Amino acid sequence: MSVSHSHSTEAHAHPELGFLRKYIFSEDHKVIGIQFLFSGLIFFLIGGTLALLVRLQIGFPQGSIPFIGRWFPLSWGDRMSPDFYAMIFSMHATIMIFFVIIPLLTGAFGNFCIPLMIGARDMAFPKLNMMSYWFMWPAFAIILCSFFVDGGAAGSGWTSYPLLASATMPAGQGFHSPASPHSGLGQICWLVALVFVGISSMMGSVNYMTTIINLRAPGMTLFRMPLTVWSMFITAILQSMALPVLTVALILQLLDKTINTTFFLPPGGMSFGNQHTGPGGGQTLLWQHLFWFYSHPAVYIMILPAMGMVSDIICTFARKHLFGYKPMVLAMAGIAGLGFIVWGHHMFQSGMDPRLGTGFMLATIMIALPSAVKTFNWLATLWGANIQYTTAMLNALAFVAMFVIGGLSGIFMAATPVDVFIHDTYFIVAHLHYVLFMSSVFGIFAGIYYWYPKMFGRTMNETWGKVHFALTFLFSNCTFYPMHIIGVAGHPRRYYDSTLYHFLDNVQSLNVFMTISALLLGVTQIIFLLNFVWSLFRGTKVGANPWHSNTLEWAAPSPPPHGNFLETPIVRRGPYEYGNPAIEDDYLPQTSPQPSGVPVAAH
Amino acid sequence: MQQKGWSIFFGAILLGAFLLFAVAPFVGWWLPANVSTFGPDVDRLFYIILGFTGFFFVLTGAILVYAMYRFAWRANTKSHYVEGNHRLEIAWTVVPAIILLFIAVSQISTWDTIKYYASMPNPDLVMQVTARQWDWSMRYADKPQPDNARAWAEVPAIDDIYLPSELHCWKGANVRIFLKTQDVLHSFFSPQLRLKQDALPGKTIPVWFNATDANTSYNAKTGKWDIDKNKRWEIACAELCGGGHYRMQGMIYVHENKEDYLKWLDGAKEAARSRQPEKKPPAVAKN
Repeated sequence: MSVSHSHSTEAHAHPELGFLRKYIFSEDHKVIGIQFLFSGLIFFLIGGTLALLVRLQIGFPQGSIPFIGRWFPLSWGDRMSPDFYAMIFSMHATIMIFFVIIPLLTGAFGNFCIPLMIGARDMAFPKLNMMSYWFMWPAFAIILCSFFVDGGAAGSGWTSYPLLASATMPAGQGFHSPASPHSGLGQICWLVALVFVGISSMMGSVNYMTTIINLRAPGMTLFRMPLTVWSMFITAILQSMALPVLTVALILQLLDKTINTTFFLPPGGMSFGNQHTGPGGGQTLLWQHLFWFYSHPAVYIMILPAMGMVSDIICTFARKHLFGYKPMVLAMAGIAGLGFIVWGHHMFQSGMDPRLGTGFMLATIMIALPSAVKTFNWLATLWGANIQYTTAMLNALAFVAMFVIGGLSGIFMAATPVDVFIHDTYFIVAHLHYVLFMSSVFGIFAGIYYWYPKMFGRTMNETWGKVHFALTFLFSNCTFYPMHIIGVAGHPRRYYDSTLYHFLDNVQSLNVFMTISALLLGVTQIIFLLNFVWSLFRGTKVGANPWHSNTLEWAAPSPPPHGNFLETPIVRRGPYEYGNPAIEDDYLPQTSPQPSGVPVAAH
Repeated sequence: MQQKGWSIFFGAILLGAFLLFAVAPFVGWWLPANVSTFGPDVDRLFYIILGFTGFFFVLTGAILVYAMYRFAWRANTKSHYVEGNHRLEIAWTVVPAIILLFIAVSQISTWDTIKYYASMPNPDLVMQVTARQWDWSMRYADKPQPDNARAWAEVPAIDDIYLPSELHCWKGANVRIFLKTQDVLHSFFSPQLRLKQDALPGKTIPVWFNATDANTSYNAKTGKWDIDKNKRWEIACAELCGGGHYRMQGMIYVHENKEDYLKWLDGAKEAARSRQPEKKPPAVAKN
């Protein structure tokens, strides 16, 4: 890992370590965070490439892609086969969710920011932290190898619903699936890889909770913590409570696939053409309940940390105190709490008792409330601000603007009768991309531009950063916004070729437009990649606090040495003292001594 | 000025998003024409939500863009120092809460109408649909209302008619479908009927609709039942079911009245008999 730490400020309290212990098998939370960042960005490239292939197929369903037959034996000559298409959209979603967004938000930023922002020297369990990263590696290897196993990688969607995913040949006839070529070894690899990801996340979340509860610097009360830390704390609690359920579900399906248990196979068994699975005794819906009991909270795991980070970035560059600190914390806690009783909204049309749907609908619609409160507080924070349009700030503002769209479109799906129509159409695809791409990824970009100086001691190029932002903002809207429209027209998701359908004749032109926008969006990311790598070596060197920010990480040198702080910081106030009229500067770091004439804050 | 340019950029993109939704219905990028009795309720709820969300989209977007313009960076100034406002917090919690509660409660009766088993009207026509990789097997009894429909749904009768992917009914009939799957999950989706229901392995799920318009008429020249070219109401699969998911296409034939339907049914019986001249009972699987 070529991390260009400047060696001028090496650790005082820590002995000099060899290269391997320092950069590879490191116990330093910052190095581990940067490791998560690098591997997340690499998988972002892979997942993004898969997305472009998906878009190519949807935009030009009868078109051919040169050389694809040579690279991918599963395809039909120069065209993708429908099975191949199912594989790439399944793996796109799997990689983006489990290998990019969750590891980037909790792994990279959680690791890097938590100890620095609460004034700790490191995580509570550094070795566990190291293991949480290295448990990702079996997952990396297995998920990448799964593309090359017999039948190809998993192709049952990222949700892996039985029986498409879980159906298997009778005992003794191998691991092939009668349901799909991708549901054989590829699906087994998928399940095993996700178990490893889950274990890694679990180790991380235990560590985050312990660290935040026990290792806060003197004076850092819970209600002086920046929202980034609060969001990571709440996310860690969510993760630790939801993950065991996913792990259990994964293992149940693994047993179904390998030793022919029948947790998800109904009593009569099922027929695939002339093949019969043999009798079962389980319930298909069981998987959906278990899966969404994790994966709905996981949706909040993928957005809460971005909300926290964006709140801090907005305050820094708005040069303004956060509006409504405690309501913001309560709103996040509300989202997390309600997040556990809304999983059934993924299953309104699944055949579960429709009366259950009514209850899940009420809870789901009400979860829009804390999101609305957060949005209003962000807007109120901007009102009367003095906004510096840095690249980090632009990305954070994009988060707010786009989260509004993603949040509002969610209400359509929560309403059960409307969901009858739009369930599993492109409206859902639009919604989830507005939350996961337009919100979480803009949050991630904001975080990278913002904390890059702290990570590497240099800033990313602002001009190219703004070019990257403007093009990404434009093209991503062109890519994802029309999906709402074709969803309203009834375009089902996961279709290899929608031109077969009369009622979709009108919207194919939009599909072509979205595909071209997606390709441009993909090309735009080269700017980010070059800026990121170039700035590692040539970016402008900066001091400890280039953004004039208040939070504790900016009190440490850039990049901070092993052990972080040269002396233990003493926290004297909350993190959002910007623009206080009683002092000369427009910011007052949490560690600064109390200026004369300023009353001590109550909290 | 360069600073304020960003607010214009944000404003332009948000305005574009708003305009696309405003224009889409007029260029055919919109809800397909509705032909079911509960469809108008679904559409009405859709427009209610669209109204509220559209309002809040414009409100928040306008505030954001205005704030970005008005409060862009000026040197030697400070932001307005304020930590929060309890009254505002209460206001923007309570008002959305009331609106959301209204939206939520207004859904319940339509959901009840469409999906609750106990609320489904007595059927004029019963059929059984089995989804499989990758088509719809439609099973018709020899009369529209078989005796003991629920039992008939589970146990096929000897004179049932099977048609791949053709759903026949008549205008104004309360149709009850018993939906099953032979292999994996599928989902019965008719955009024009505003109807969607997953087929669940091992379960039989009742579904109902009542079509308000007809699209099928008898063509005396060809002796076939033709669909109006402008009223092709397709059935699609809405739950990933493998490689052929995209081509699980079905077609809905709504006859003008029950007489037409019965006439078609007689013809279909005739065709089925001609396919099985010896009238043997269907072979029972040995086992």
